[in-house]
Amino acid sequence: MKKILLSIVVAVLIALWLIPLLWLIITSLKLENDVVTDHLTLFSASPTFKNYIKAMTTTPIKQWLLNSFFVASVTTVLTLFLDSTMAFVLSRMRFRGRKALYLFVLAGMMAPFESMIIQLYLEFNTFKLLNTLAAVIIPRLALPVGVFILTQFFNGIPTALEEAAYIDGASRFKVFTSVILPLGKSAMFAVAILSFIGSWNDFLWPLISISNSAKYTVTVGIANFQGTHGTEYALIMAGAVIASIPQILIFLFFRKNIVQGIAMTGIKG
Amino acid sequence: MQSRKPGLYSCSAGFRFFEWRYYYMHLAAHTKRDLILFSAPFLLVYMAFLVFPVVYGIYLSFFDWNILSGKVFVGFRNFVQAFSDEKFKSSFFHTLQFVALSTPILIVVGFLMALISVRPTKLGKTAESIFFLPYMFSTTVVGTLWAWLLQKNFGLVNQLLQAIGLKGVGWLTDPNIAMLSIVMATLWWTAGFNMILFSAGMKQIPDEIYESARLDGAGKFVTLTRITIPLLKDTTLLVVILQIIASFKVFGQVYVMTGGGPYGTTRVLVQYVYETGFNYFKLGYASAMSMILFFVILVISAAQLLSSKDEGQ
Repeated sequence: MKKILLSIVVAVLIALWLIPLLWLIITSLKLENDVVTDHLTLFSASPTFKNYIKAMTTTPIKQWLLNSFFVASVTTVLTLFLDSTMAFVLSRMRFRGRKALYLFVLAGMMAPFESMIIQLYLEFNTFKLLNTLAAVIIPRLALPVGVFILTQFFNGIPTALEEAAYIDGASRFKVFTSVILPLGKSAMFAVAILSFIGSWNDFLWPLISISNSAKYTVTVGIANFQGTHGTEYALIMAGAVIASIPQILIFLFFRKNIVQGIAMTGIKG
Repeated sequence: MQSRKPGLYSCSAGFRFFEWRYYYMHLAAHTKRDLILFSAPFLLVYMAFLVFPVVYGIYLSFFDWNILSGKVFVGFRNFVQAFSDEKFKSSFFHTLQFVALSTPILIVVGFLMALISVRPTKLGKTAESIFFLPYMFSTTVVGTLWAWLLQKNFGLVNQLLQAIGLKGVGWLTDPNIAMLSIVMATLWWTAGFNMILFSAGMKQIPDEIYESARLDGAGKFVTLTRITIPLLKDTTLLVVILQIIASFKVFGQVYVMTGGGPYGTTRVLVQYVYETGFNYFKLGYASAMSMILFFVILVISAAQLLSSKDEGQ
């Protein structure tokens, strides 16, 4: 009896999480007329890709996807560079004030981006960078949580290998690129995925820094969709699916790394 | 945060004294240069786009600055104004409301999901994927999807309610319900994140403890309440703090689903800062309000840091 009850809870929970996902896809495959009707139908009489074609051809979503792709890729690469070099310093170099520096970087995790929008806007206005993709990219580059993950991970890499390299006369740069980075691959990967997804899904800052709709990221574009296509729900859902394809692909291929990345932020060192 | 000493001090090679001295010399000669080269890129960006905005925000919050007028120093008047501004007070209240409604349910459901997903069965793995997938979506995709699911006339939820003979609900148009709808969408969106943190914690509990509990004849429920939950104390604290912080920053779902309506009943703090800054161009006042948000989150984070430090000692 207890077991049955438990199974019901599990089944209900799974159903509640699955149904919205299915409804997203089902709606996107219907004709608009079949969507806005009083009687609920599970499937259109004739499932159609019309909405997808319409979204791709009559809306700027292709451009938005390209923008997002550019923004997220550049952000990821540069974040990895900045965070890994900083983590190397914090994990491997000894100098006065190292602990203070580490705390200074970690303190950044407590500063909510949401409380900096006015200041960042003014700052980018001064640099004349508003309404450029650079404005979307730059504030996300120095990612304190990435430094945290990488420093913790680098701390766990045994020093024997680099010791040998140093004795052979290797420079720190050499040790960084040919010992630490290869051994820290999995943590780098986790940070890369967190950075890519974070950047792709960022909404508030691109909404503020970009006013020209041709330069929207797809996340802002989708919010805009609702305004311009009001009740064309099938079209909007098709757009939402298109906008989520990269995340779904990343999820399918890198589920383990994503989970690991999140767990790493949670497990304190 | 135990830091490891570099090879120089490692005990394994203590006898290779001469090689060591060489290693030390050629590295030491470049320590300063390397230190600067390796840390400058991060620190420059960090200072310019994280530290500076915080400092600048504190500075701006003491000024009255509209787009038309110049900057006028007003001391604490922006903060005083905030606490007599009905819109600020209601936005703050809605944010608190969202935090209070969303945190408990997101913790409980995240925990339940973790219990289901840590089981090394196929069902567990599948469930984990299904629970986590929504977290991958952007806030605007989740917002538009749920705005559609909860749409008054043709949305799935109301259609299902009508199918079983109930009346449809104005999920996004009824002032008493709109905030709950946003909580629902958020629950669906981010419970999977809490699940991952919980299940990471669960995986750290040694099997032997469960094994011996089983041998002592403890049932599943007793195991859960006497072992799993107490041993997850640290994880739970972390999840709660992260959740409270995340909930305080709520914006995107609201923006997409209700735009702050109906009648401003779902307008949250970030949204009011946004409107004050970019619709009404009151930059000083908006900065002051965002500093209040900053301060609230800082206090919560600090509380977490302090409590986890106590644990460690």
